[in-house]
Amino acid sequence: MARRGFLAAAVALLAALGTTWAAPAGAQVEVRMWTLLSGGDGARMRALVDDFNASQREVRVVSTTLKWGEPFYTKLITASVVGAGPDLATVHLSRLPNLAGGGVLRPIQPAELAQVGLRGEDYLPRQWAKSRYGGVNYAVPLDVHPLVLYYNKTLAGRAGLLGPDGKLKPIEGVAALTDAFRAATERTGQHGLTMESSQSSYAIWRLWLAMLAQQNLTIIRNGRFTYGPAGVATLERIGDWFRRGYAQVGLDYPASTSQFMGGNAVFMLNGVWEVPELVRASKAGTLGFEYGIVPLPQMYANASTWADSHSFAIPANNEHPMPPEKVRAILRFVAYVSRHSLGWAEGGHIPAYRPVAESPQFLALQPNAQYAAVANNVVYDPDGWYMGAAGPLEAIASKFLPAALYGYMTPAQAVARFESESRRLIRKPPPRY
Amino acid sequence: MPNDLTMNPPAPAPARTAAPSSTREGLPALMLLAPFLIAFVLFFAVPAFETLYLSLTDSSLTRTNAFVGLDNYHLLLNDPSFWDSVANTFMFALMTVIPLTALGLIMAMLVNHFVRAQAWLQGVFFLPFVLPISVMTLIADWMLQPSSGVVNHLVGGQRPWLADPTWALPAVAIGTVWWTVGFNLLLFLAGLRNIPQDLYEAAALDGARGFTLFRAITWPALRPVATTAFILQLIASLKVFGQTYILTSGGPFNTTRVTLHYMYETAFTQSDAGYAAAIAMAFVAIVLLLSLLQALVVKWMARRDA
Repeated sequence: MARRGFLAAAVALLAALGTTWAAPAGAQVEVRMWTLLSGGDGARMRALVDDFNASQREVRVVSTTLKWGEPFYTKLITASVVGAGPDLATVHLSRLPNLAGGGVLRPIQPAELAQVGLRGEDYLPRQWAKSRYGGVNYAVPLDVHPLVLYYNKTLAGRAGLLGPDGKLKPIEGVAALTDAFRAATERTGQHGLTMESSQSSYAIWRLWLAMLAQQNLTIIRNGRFTYGPAGVATLERIGDWFRRGYAQVGLDYPASTSQFMGGNAVFMLNGVWEVPELVRASKAGTLGFEYGIVPLPQMYANASTWADSHSFAIPANNEHPMPPEKVRAILRFVAYVSRHSLGWAEGGHIPAYRPVAESPQFLALQPNAQYAAVANNVVYDPDGWYMGAAGPLEAIASKFLPAALYGYMTPAQAVARFESESRRLIRKPPPRY
Repeated sequence: MPNDLTMNPPAPAPARTAAPSSTREGLPALMLLAPFLIAFVLFFAVPAFETLYLSLTDSSLTRTNAFVGLDNYHLLLNDPSFWDSVANTFMFALMTVIPLTALGLIMAMLVNHFVRAQAWLQGVFFLPFVLPISVMTLIADWMLQPSSGVVNHLVGGQRPWLADPTWALPAVAIGTVWWTVGFNLLLFLAGLRNIPQDLYEAAALDGARGFTLFRAITWPALRPVATTAFILQLIASLKVFGQTYILTSGGPFNTTRVTLHYMYETAFTQSDAGYAAAIAMAFVAIVLLLSLLQALVVKWMARRDA
């Protein structure tokens, strides 16, 4: 097909430009990996790769970091489809229905896992189930990274929100949480809450999804929006916090985290990936306050919170079947990272590999221990080819949901526009790439 | 006085004699035409028809799937996002085309007037045009930064221009005008220099000065240039993509998402090449309609003046 040929040429050219070709070294198997991990996660993955490369001589992993989000997945999909993809890629489990269903990933057989001593039972059941599509395994989960609530102990104490043990008093119910934000704002003169809220940020979508899940509601089922009137009401709730001045609207990601780090906000709603920065600043003595982390408070019927997971997957690279020794080399690396995922957990993530997640070392790891139980209550984006991290539906949600906070649209208008632009996607059959 | 100034379009060339029929002339003609014809077919006609076909299918980014007839177009008619993007595109055109044409003319007259500073002025006005889009957007982004940008420094404030739903599109439009006005300046300058000086001298003898000179001599002579500049700018503005893509990624809240951007998103993030092709075809139709309208207006103006 002409279009495929063109894509193949284009991708090959990009790959040639972007990848450093290491010289072949004897019988060493080279594994080319693409990741979307930047910042601290990127550094930790690089350390794992270096340690693995140093630990043996048969396999060499060469890692390339690409831009997070849509550019990464577009590149991975097109490259894999024309057979020019990498040997291994880090993908979000929320994207699995799209990638596995679209034929972008190669199935991983239990026998292949067994060769390197891995079994499905070694992984947290929820994350293992999320790594499967149509009864077949397509990924090896690495972690869980949920949405959590950070708090500044000094300010929360001044607002009367701490218990005698110096920890946050339990908050239950959406009214109680709103009260806590109000008390935090009024009694400290700082922002009660900070979170990423600029246009096209995904944070509002994650919170909205979590709050709907707490009401036992799903977003989409069988091609229909299933949250009903709660969709608008929940967005109104979130918008309320901003309208009443508990939180500042329009902050982009760095602005929101520096508001919390600078001691100018009592609470921060964010993923656990900010943990390393807090740990670092605490150690360096530059933080200026003690912090605590709790799971997202239970506002409604249950304590669900949004989460996603990183995982390892093997691109299908159609027309280029992979020799068994290559598969083995790839999985040797994956097994190595699983067994050493305590280092990965320092990024705030909860490891998906049970021997590590249940080890005394991880259970004692601070501050992870404060929220490790969250792994049981996480909700992912619903299954669907259009779902997942930086997927088409999230992209649409990130354009319209924040508009309700700005007052540029009413919550009802924002939800209506989200639906009207998504409707075409959710009616379409899943694409085979 | 020799009057070589053509106020009206040049008279039609004398009726051509019958087309050369002998192969002696036909073959070289064909050979001369061939490179263009091949390029036209290969890079325009074939992709255009492929896009048309694609718009009638349910295709993903990498695969051509089932034929679905006019389904995509039905969806398109009821897609507020598409019509918003068309409105944004035309709004952008409105905010750039007229200022670009007018400013180009004013700058050209300034350059022409200040004889001594001519080279310098021309350089200053033309400089932004040679910048690549990445550099232009970077400069615009710096200038429009909420707290450190020079624009807020001048107007006094902290407005996040590119994140403000009201100001984002005008901000991009102003950046674009700054960037491309140099091209129009050159067009108008060439036009101005083609006006024979004797005309002004003769008019001055008749006692005309100031604005009368402009109205009676300069503007009629420049009108064909102005029309050209206007049309070129209109085409360029309707094709806008890079500036909004880089500066605002279509935001805030899609207020700067132009049609080409919506098409790009549909094809690449949503992997819906069929619908993206339908957007492309519909937009082509809208632009063709606009060109037709524009041609009629020009014709009507020419007839009115005749």
